[in-house]
Amino acid sequence: MTGFGAVRTATGGMLRHKVQAIVITMVLLVSTASATLGFALLSANNAPFQHAFAAQNGAHLTLTVNAAHASPAQLAATRSLSGVTAASGPYPETIVQAQQGGQPFGGLVLAGRSSPSGPVDDLVLNAGHWVTGPGQIVLSGTPSDQGVQTGATLTVAGVPGSPSLTVVGFANSITNTADGWVAPSEIARLRAATAPVSEQMLYRFGQASTYTQIRADVTELTRALPAGAVAGTGSWLTAADQATGNGAIMAPFVVAFALIGLAMAVLIVGNVISGAVVAGYHRIGVLKSIGLTPAQVVVAYISRVGVPAIAGCLIGVVAGNVLAIPVLHQSSDAYGVGSQHVPWWASAAAPIGMLALTALAALGPALRAGRLSAAQAIAAGRAPRTGRGYAAHRLASRLGLPRPVGIGLAAPFAKPARTMVTMVAVAFGATAVIFAFGLHSSLSRAQASSDHSATVPVQVEQFGPSKGPGDQGSPSAAQDNAVTAALHAQPGTEHYVAEYNNGVNVPGITRRVDTTAYGGDASWIGYGIISGRWYDAPGEVDVNTAFLNQSGLAIGDTTTVLVGTNQVSVKIVGEVFHPSSDPALYASARTLPGFATSDNLNAYDVGLRPGTNAGAYARAVNAALGNGNPWQATTYGGGGKFYTIASALIGLLALMVAVAAGLGVLNTVLMTTRDRVHDLGVFKALGMRPAQMLAMVVCWIAGPAVLAAVVAAPAAVLLNTATLHAMASTAHTGLPASYTQVFPPLRLALLSLAALVLAAAGALLPASWAARARPAVALRAE
Amino acid sequence: MMNQSVIQLDNVTKAYQAGAPPALTDVSMQVGAGEVVAVMGPSGSGKSTLLNLIAGLDRPTAGEVTVAGRRIDTLSETALARFRARHVGIVFQFFNLLDDLTVEDNVLLPAQLAGASRRQARARAAELLARMGIEQHRDDYPARLSGGQRQRVAIARALVNSPELLLADEPTGALDTATGQEIAKLLRQLNAAGQTLVLVTHDPALAERYAARTVRIVDGRVAGVGVPA
Repeated sequence: MTGFGAVRTATGGMLRHKVQAIVITMVLLVSTASATLGFALLSANNAPFQHAFAAQNGAHLTLTVNAAHASPAQLAATRSLSGVTAASGPYPETIVQAQQGGQPFGGLVLAGRSSPSGPVDDLVLNAGHWVTGPGQIVLSGTPSDQGVQTGATLTVAGVPGSPSLTVVGFANSITNTADGWVAPSEIARLRAATAPVSEQMLYRFGQASTYTQIRADVTELTRALPAGAVAGTGSWLTAADQATGNGAIMAPFVVAFALIGLAMAVLIVGNVISGAVVAGYHRIGVLKSIGLTPAQVVVAYISRVGVPAIAGCLIGVVAGNVLAIPVLHQSSDAYGVGSQHVPWWASAAAPIGMLALTALAALGPALRAGRLSAAQAIAAGRAPRTGRGYAAHRLASRLGLPRPVGIGLAAPFAKPARTMVTMVAVAFGATAVIFAFGLHSSLSRAQASSDHSATVPVQVEQFGPSKGPGDQGSPSAAQDNAVTAALHAQPGTEHYVAEYNNGVNVPGITRRVDTTAYGGDASWIGYGIISGRWYDAPGEVDVNTAFLNQSGLAIGDTTTVLVGTNQVSVKIVGEVFHPSSDPALYASARTLPGFATSDNLNAYDVGLRPGTNAGAYARAVNAALGNGNPWQATTYGGGGKFYTIASALIGLLALMVAVAAGLGVLNTVLMTTRDRVHDLGVFKALGMRPAQMLAMVVCWIAGPAVLAAVVAAPAAVLLNTATLHAMASTAHTGLPASYTQVFPPLRLALLSLAALVLAAAGALLPASWAARARPAVALRAE
Repeated sequence: MMNQSVIQLDNVTKAYQAGAPPALTDVSMQVGAGEVVAVMGPSGSGKSTLLNLIAGLDRPTAGEVTVAGRRIDTLSETALARFRARHVGIVFQFFNLLDDLTVEDNVLLPAQLAGASRRQARARAAELLARMGIEQHRDDYPARLSGGQRQRVAIARALVNSPELLLADEPTGALDTATGQEIAKLLRQLNAAGQTLVLVTHDPALAERYAARTVRIVDGRVAGVGVPA
């Protein structure tokens, strides 16, 4: 007998174990797909940005210095400050208004650099070449980003002679230190007469991984320079936050599902091999007695899972890559540092890791089979069952339950290890299902409070060119008044409020703060409040988590908001749910004088009375406004792409894990059915009807399923809370408590039935096979 | 003249695989109420197949099987199960007791499957266990019993629903001679009390001593019917 032949004989070949092969394939498919996707999303979380930041010696801090207040020597001295590990500059800097072909090209922050390289912010040239003299510019990004090609000419407006700059190249700064670079000597020619003379310094620090550390670094620099020298700062964390796309936000729940899948794969594979060894004791003994070596026995049992495991892993890695496409696409939009794809190592590590775990899970029982002596194995295979579970049967017979039910409920005690493994697999499956429902509910609440789809079903927004003569593109006051009149006249109007949007400056935050001011009561819009409360008086504001993190302020603190030339002192009274790395502020228009202008009027948010049809309402408003008014009422157009993809992904992953759990149950029940086939024949011979048989076999798994439900319910609640907090952290936001409180007791109890449904679904197929089997066949099958 | 038939087989054929020789070919036989019939033949002759068909454990490929006045070869699996529970008791060579149930629970099981009340079933089981002389083992598990005791439990279990027909497949085949004789005597006593009995055996002595009639099966065909010498 050749080695391979012996192994094949020992296992009986793959085709003899079709169901187990399918179970193993499916379980490994699920876990490998989840693991691949999880790795890909974890990588998307930081890899491209971190790699690019390290490769380009990215600047932890970009400092804009008013040269009138700091000498070159004073700037040079900052290089040796204790926290500074590297510095570049000073580079002359200015802001210009550029035009192309007479059309506005936009404001550009220009830095004068003679070379793209340097100890900090080593620029990557994407196209063309670096500036070689005056009259040339290298733009940030790529030709497609900017909509111009090399050779194009930009003119600088507002400067004597309107100097021209020829685009000679495109380059990337990982922290966006400038919008373009010119020769250092060019800056003076491009600077407007009224603009201050500015220099740019770029620093790397030993401690710069948090906003707090960055603020400390800025403080150190500010102290080292004369008063008024620091005109502005830019943190690398802002760029890093922007580079973290939505895909990364999904990583926590994908990883959670991947871990569940992985644990289930180990359990189910171990169960399959253990079951095969136990069921095959007699066969092992016979094969050993005719010459099979212990090593061949081990190989025989491991090879039993080998082919389906490899197939499952290969299909799983393909499925993981396919699933990753829409998710990573979501994230890549936010980057600008290269497209995102599943890294090669994820496609290798996931299947290799799963195969290794599978082999380990199979090794224990396979080694046990290999160690058995032939006589032991034959004796063990022939021996009557041990006394395990007898007491359970005795108890069940006294409970007054229908006898098939009692026998079924007591049966798992005969194989406690197998029962435990199956119970854990069902618990994992049920946890995944409950977790998915909870996560979906939580995300729905987050979505509802983000897009206000429930409270603001209609918005009146400005579309197309506006109104009367002489304005700068904003609707006229008459057109605005027509909107409020139309809304006021509609019987379905419950609330409406004007929404003004623009940026404001807040000391301590290096970038403009996205600000929303409401022209009236907006508490009904229903922003999610993480802590504190919604503003209800002039002088009070709410902010998002990014605002608090970047400013170092807390609820109850007072700060100054710069609205144009107005300085307003405001008190932060609440932290609202607004998942973004950009700081945001919400206030009454009365709090921010000069903010509620026609230019800033973005929309009218409308809440409807119960029973009002949003579509009909919008049509009625639009009819009242007429065609000449740029304001048009629109209805909520559906969920955001992130929530749509996240919900679909949650559903798919939960389904895959649930199917794997069901298959695990199927496998266990099938093994038990095979172990007990003779008993089943006896039951039938004694008059057990097919329906009774079905009930008995399903009850084999009912008890463990109830215990699994008891375990799964709290586990899912904890997992949901932990995952949501991890997602929120990635999305730079805290969480309102209500988003995690999505499991009222009745709902949790109903969801816990998932364990029973999974178990019943998994058991039903082998149970129906057992029910249909002819008694004579079952009796012969011993 | 034979009493009313409890078993009526008409031209029964059973083939397990298409193309292979049938296990039984064109078998016809009758067993009257209260009769003891021994089905004899060498190993592989088709005796157990015949018993399975009479018990409704399997279906014939052709022919009709009527037991206790009911044609059973056309019944559904559920109807067959009900039929077995109420009308047929089966005693197996290797007892086929359920290891994880006590003696009493083994005996109670067919009654419970048939829907009998627990009290009635327990009373009947107690009566049968006493009749079989094993009432002291009521709470024991089968593994603790001797072969003879296990077969007595199996007979009690077969009788718990008071079936019209008791089928015994090599009932003494797994027992030593003395114990086998005890069991054979017990079966005879049951027959004396009116129990119709079909014994499958390859032991001529058992057939000769206890059966009123023998049906000899050879290569799946009835090779002869006679009265033991």
